[in-house]
Amino acid sequence: MYKTHTKREVSLEFQSQIPVLRPSIHSRRANLTVKFQDLYGFTVEGNVDDVNVLNEVREKVRQQGRVWWALEASKGANWYLQPQVTSIVEGIALKSSLKLSTLANAITLKKLIRKGIPPVLRPKVWFSLSGAAKKKSTVPESYYNDLTKAVEGKVTPATRQIDHILTGDLILVHFLVHFFFYLSFSFLIPSLVLIDDLLLRFDGYAGSIDRSATNLSWSPVVGHSGGSCCTTTCLVAYSFRDSDVGYCQGLNYVAALLLLVMKTEEDAFWMLAVLLENVLVNDCYSNNLSGCHVEQRVFKDLLVKECPRIAAHLEELEFDVSLVATEWFLCLFSKSLPSETTLRVWDVLFFEGAKVLFHVALAIFKMKEEELLLTHHVGDVINILQKTTHHLFDPDDLLTVAFDNIGSMTTKTISKQRKKARTGSNGRARSKI
Amino acid sequence: MGAYRADEDYDYLFKVVLIGDSGVGKSNLLSRFTRNEFSLESKSTIGVEFATRSIHVDDKVVKAQIWDTAGQERYRAITSAYYRGAVGALLVYDVTRHVTFENVERWLKELRDHTDSNIVIMLVGNKADLRHLRAVTTEDAKAFAERENTFFMETSALESLNVENAFTEVLTQIYRVVSRKALEVGDDPAALPKGQTINVGDDVSAMKKVGCCSA
Repeated sequence: MYKTHTKREVSLEFQSQIPVLRPSIHSRRANLTVKFQDLYGFTVEGNVDDVNVLNEVREKVRQQGRVWWALEASKGANWYLQPQVTSIVEGIALKSSLKLSTLANAITLKKLIRKGIPPVLRPKVWFSLSGAAKKKSTVPESYYNDLTKAVEGKVTPATRQIDHILTGDLILVHFLVHFFFYLSFSFLIPSLVLIDDLLLRFDGYAGSIDRSATNLSWSPVVGHSGGSCCTTTCLVAYSFRDSDVGYCQGLNYVAALLLLVMKTEEDAFWMLAVLLENVLVNDCYSNNLSGCHVEQRVFKDLLVKECPRIAAHLEELEFDVSLVATEWFLCLFSKSLPSETTLRVWDVLFFEGAKVLFHVALAIFKMKEEELLLTHHVGDVINILQKTTHHLFDPDDLLTVAFDNIGSMTTKTISKQRKKARTGSNGRARSKI
Repeated sequence: MGAYRADEDYDYLFKVVLIGDSGVGKSNLLSRFTRNEFSLESKSTIGVEFATRSIHVDDKVVKAQIWDTAGQERYRAITSAYYRGAVGALLVYDVTRHVTFENVERWLKELRDHTDSNIVIMLVGNKADLRHLRAVTTEDAKAFAERENTFFMETSALESLNVENAFTEVLTQIYRVVSRKALEVGDDPAALPKGQTINVGDDVSAMKKVGCCSA
């Protein structure tokens, strides 16, 4: 599984010392850095114990799958996709005629999703519960195909020289090109500017090298061949630089993970659409990242409320939460947390909404409260938080704190706080001018 | 992150920031200097990354804490916290992309808006190994650096060319500024008690062996 040290090597190295050094073995083992592949083929670095944790997580995922199958057996297949079940959790007005069993199902589902969706069910469950399916149903069946064709039609006028792009994942590029073309028509993010790292691929993802192994097949790309496809795609991508459409660094990480999870490029496309248009705060990836700034101000206020000691200490150090939280809110933790942990966060995100991001962000601070209170430097704070997130291999460690130890919040209160944060930022911007 | 050693012994801690357009090689300069690593497939930096490395200047141990962040335009508003306390900066452009050199002026303005005037700045033309693709001449960059009163060096993070020199030069210059200032006020920097911040000019600060913590 892992490259640099095998279990065998480790045990050989320590065998002779076991009788004398037993207490210190664990600490020494914990310090050995190994590279290994996680549940999704990402190469990650960690210590030997991280590998053990990951094995436990693998087993828990299997068990959670059994829970879902058992429920399907008793409640019927797709019970969780019934519109009544999902709308209750969204807080839509309850009808008096609603059956008790539906309500019970809704509560079961909320709990179930916080415990994790089995990887094999994720594409189906995400697509339905996030609202992506509904969004897709509002346009003609051929919409995505037409869009793909329209993008191809845009290839010829593109003449811009692409000179510094690195080796990339064509599928991701293709996908993003389609997506931004779609945005250009929906005028959702009119001022995004396409940037140069479109081709920077999701680093360390083994699946991008051997796609067949992960059972991903992307028909729109297969039709092209080799290098010309790359150039074509690049040119298409770059033709959008001249229009007002573009893309924000950070979105590539989100898109890559969506592509990995969803079975088809089209479904991933709709997931991205629903994420940007409905799930996340408005303007999260716009040209001034204004939505992202709003989220950070809301987060700062929540930190004062939920973790007052940490907030006071960080204020003293002149630590600005944006130093760590920018990445969290833009990449939705995909760049910070191990992959299964990220996907578990997204399970809840797509079902309960963007407030989940605050729960998780607060939990990360809360988990390290004592350690953070001992810091003297901004650098140490960043270091602790980054190290913590990179090693959160057990999703339950994080999500338990996020939902049991952090006070509950509603989408409504978050909206109110966002409004306050937005007016606050406008005021500041005006006073600057 | 592995390079970060909080309990390390040092005489000075200098914060140095890496700035410049997206894709010029900031993260690879950082990894080359602190870990001697280079990645052709590096990912875009979104938040803030940093790493540290200690070098010797005279008989002192200078610990550099080097900060790296996103170069994309839209991220600039976020990073005022990024500049806080910085005493040195490497302003990086890509010698094969002229536009990244044109943007140096804006970066310089932003840097000067957010930091003290005594900050040590080095203009760095990275990717010097790509000789056949060069779009910015050494002369042009040198002239710009002279006009703006910054240091200048061409580097290649890939070939490990001048990376060591660039960082070492910046750190040495910061050290010179700090020790000269300390002498002017008749104060021996080494005699300062733990946790003291040395002020250079108005704001440029070198943190002296502040009791470091945890991690």
